[in-house]
Amino acid sequence: MKGLMNYFPGNTILHRLDPRTKILFPLMICIVCFATDNVYVLLGILVLDLMIGLIGGIFRQALRLLKSLLKIAAFLFILQMLVVRDGEAVFHIFGLAITDEGLMTALTGALRLIDITLPLALMISLTQMSDLANALVSRWHIPYKYAFAVTSAIRFIPVFSSDMQTIMEAQTARGVEFDTKNFFRKVGLIVPLCVPLLISSVKKIETAAMAVELRGFNLRNKNSSYKQAQFRLPDLITLLIGVGLIVLGFVL
Amino acid sequence: MILMQDFSFQYASGKKNALENIDLTIADGDFVGIIGNSGAGKTTLTYAINGIVPHYYSGDFYGSVVVDGMDTVESKPEELAMSVGSVFQDVDAQMVASMVEDEMLFGLENFGIPHSEIEERLSEALEQVGIADLRYRELESLSGGQKQKVAVAAIIALRPSIIVLDEPTGELDPRSSEQIFQLLKKLNETYGTTIVVVEQKIGLLCRYVKRLVLLEKGRIMLEGPVREVLKQADVMESIGMHVPRVVSLHKELVNRGLYDGPAPIGLEEAKAMTEEVLA
Repeated sequence: MKGLMNYFPGNTILHRLDPRTKILFPLMICIVCFATDNVYVLLGILVLDLMIGLIGGIFRQALRLLKSLLKIAAFLFILQMLVVRDGEAVFHIFGLAITDEGLMTALTGALRLIDITLPLALMISLTQMSDLANALVSRWHIPYKYAFAVTSAIRFIPVFSSDMQTIMEAQTARGVEFDTKNFFRKVGLIVPLCVPLLISSVKKIETAAMAVELRGFNLRNKNSSYKQAQFRLPDLITLLIGVGLIVLGFVL
Repeated sequence: MILMQDFSFQYASGKKNALENIDLTIADGDFVGIIGNSGAGKTTLTYAINGIVPHYYSGDFYGSVVVDGMDTVESKPEELAMSVGSVFQDVDAQMVASMVEDEMLFGLENFGIPHSEIEERLSEALEQVGIADLRYRELESLSGGQKQKVAVAAIIALRPSIIVLDEPTGELDPRSSEQIFQLLKKLNETYGTTIVVVEQKIGLLCRYVKRLVLLEKGRIMLEGPVREVLKQADVMESIGMHVPRVVSLHKELVNRGLYDGPAPIGLEEAKAMTEEVLA
């Protein structure tokens, strides 16, 4: 999970976009990708995705993400290439005909997967969760409780993982072999790990609930947020680009 | 002002009273340290002040607790919270945001502080705690001491008249612990904020607070100005509590008839005492 949900601080034009834009734009890309079968459009979107990384100053993260997505995409590619039977045979593998249509479907499928995943993941890396939550609460009137539940869940991931590390180290020190190669033994070791983790987590959550209540959680309303998301010219431009792409996607 | 009269409390899950017949008055501007063995009811006492007891943990509540004129049973926790700021034992658990600035904003936003006032309060609180440079940092990247300061700053920004802290230096190194107490002392002296702090490190505590409350098995065993309480080091030792080493030394010197002054607090006074004995 690390790296996927992480926020990369910065002050680029993309960082400063309205959180709503950062959610809507990837959704628009998503529509484009499903609307078109044109490989060139899909390749163009891939270039656009990488440009998001470049402009947002997270090009290295974008490439790393692309690399891991390529593995899944390759799997999808091979699968579709073997399954699709329509079209002219181009070549044979183990007597199995690989058709031109199969190759095309596989290629567009793989590209689509990458094109859809990248922008959302990148935009999330450029957005602070709390800003997103505040924007959704104050503008789209999503109840704060839900927004808070999601942001808290994300915030607690590192806290719990460090707790788990502590418990694992404590158990390792008492002779538990977490480094065993035997898969079944490893699974068996998870139970005695989960119980203390669960107990300490519940305790933490309890404190969190009390602390939050004493800091006026119940008094909060949709107008509470100090930082107000502002829809500005760059947001408009971004969304217009999105609309343009959708049109392009349907035409081509 | 905090006024506890014949206050007893038993958790719904408990078998006996966590606190029993507590009569305690904490005046405005006081700086009180609460000490006692584990299970003595220290945390419950802080819960009684900020309204966690009886609003979050229910149970049998006897007597009365009045904080800033509000009866804690009749007032909602968030009403009390406007007067009482609370810092909990577990620093990580009480944080809500991933950035320092957002953490500071949370309380300010919730209590409906006018948005025009927020910036001033926020930067002032960070300034007071001396962490203005951490404003745009991620909480995860901070040390334990820094996190604790953020927790305190987030409370100070709300400008409560009372601050209750439960072992604020529990996981800190000696230097950061010292800094936290210096900060509390500054708040107490400059703004007259009433401070109630539970602390294990008695030596540290005695150098800063004005009064001590010693709890044992849910009852107040000793209570009074620091020096008065330290005079009764025997009582503290009888229940297995540690007393500051300078106090033990003082007791030993008095027992041997070498010294008859009051118990020293901190190294400076201990030095003066030893010099006097040696002279």
